[in-house]
Amino acid sequence: MKRIKILKPVLVSNQQRAKENRAVFDRMNSLVINIIASPGAGKTSFIKNLILGLKERYRILVVEGDIRGQIDSKSISLLGVDVIQINTATECHLDAFMTAQVLPKMKKKYDLILIENVGNLVCPAEFDIGEDYKLAILSTPEGDDKPLKYPLLFHLARVVVINKIDLQPYVDFSTDRAKINIKKENPRATIFEVSARTGQGFEKVLRHVQKEINARNRKKSKS
Amino acid sequence: MHEFGVTKALVDLCNQEAAKNDIKKVQKIHLKIGRFTGFSPDSIVFYFEHLKNKTRCSNASIVFEEIPIEIECASCRKRNTLEDPVLLCPNCGSDRIHLISGREFFVSSIEGE
Repeated sequence: MKRIKILKPVLVSNQQRAKENRAVFDRMNSLVINIIASPGAGKTSFIKNLILGLKERYRILVVEGDIRGQIDSKSISLLGVDVIQINTATECHLDAFMTAQVLPKMKKKYDLILIENVGNLVCPAEFDIGEDYKLAILSTPEGDDKPLKYPLLFHLARVVVINKIDLQPYVDFSTDRAKINIKKENPRATIFEVSARTGQGFEKVLRHVQKEINARNRKKSKS
Repeated sequence: MHEFGVTKALVDLCNQEAAKNDIKKVQKIHLKIGRFTGFSPDSIVFYFEHLKNKTRCSNASIVFEEIPIEIECASCRKRNTLEDPVLLCPNCGSDRIHLISGREFFVSSIEGE
């Protein structure tokens, strides 16, 4: 009987693939946002608002991760941007290998790649797919305690969007409490409050994303 | 529920390492798992019992070693171990903290012959 030291992460192959994906995205100078939220939180509507606000100025690709079907990718392609659908079949999240399927299908260089992960607050948080950062959406009907119940996602998300603020009068949700709970997991999180249905609050989100795309372009032109 | 894919990756990694080190039958897999990961040991064992069949790990069992969530506070410099992943310093309440451990998920060693 012998004992061999391994000291390797279980997800070593996913991490390696994510690194390769990131290198490809970097070469194309794309800002890549991994959007994670529970089913029905408003991921697709959030993405549509970003598209409407940014598509005149930037080349945008949307990657739709769903267990099955093409409902979201069909409705997004109506807005005139490129969409690539990934169906995960049994898997409850996107991983770096599924995301890599997108690379050969990319027709041009994109300034912004929005990846809509499978609706789930647990599993997608664990898998690096090569994104620049994770963006979590929390909608008001879900309750302001969710950051404490699903701490990993809110810890890892650089940006947290509180959606459906137009419904706040009808649901038991305190924005202040939600912000406190988000900050408990992630003191440095950037938080936005929006309604993807009415468009309220999106000016700030659009400015933020624009700033990030421009910063990337400046960095690239220097190097 | 994401433990299926993760356990598949675990079995693949252990088989590769066993082959590399000329181990035909793995008996034990020592797995370090931080308390600030979303992986459940029970779920991993559930899938492992199926996925290990007909591999070098078919007789193996997993020995889990939990790693606590440890933080260091940038304000008061105290180190603390947290029961829950609420990332505030239990000593001074500051949110300027560094996560020292708790996110690990790796195979530390395998035993076999």
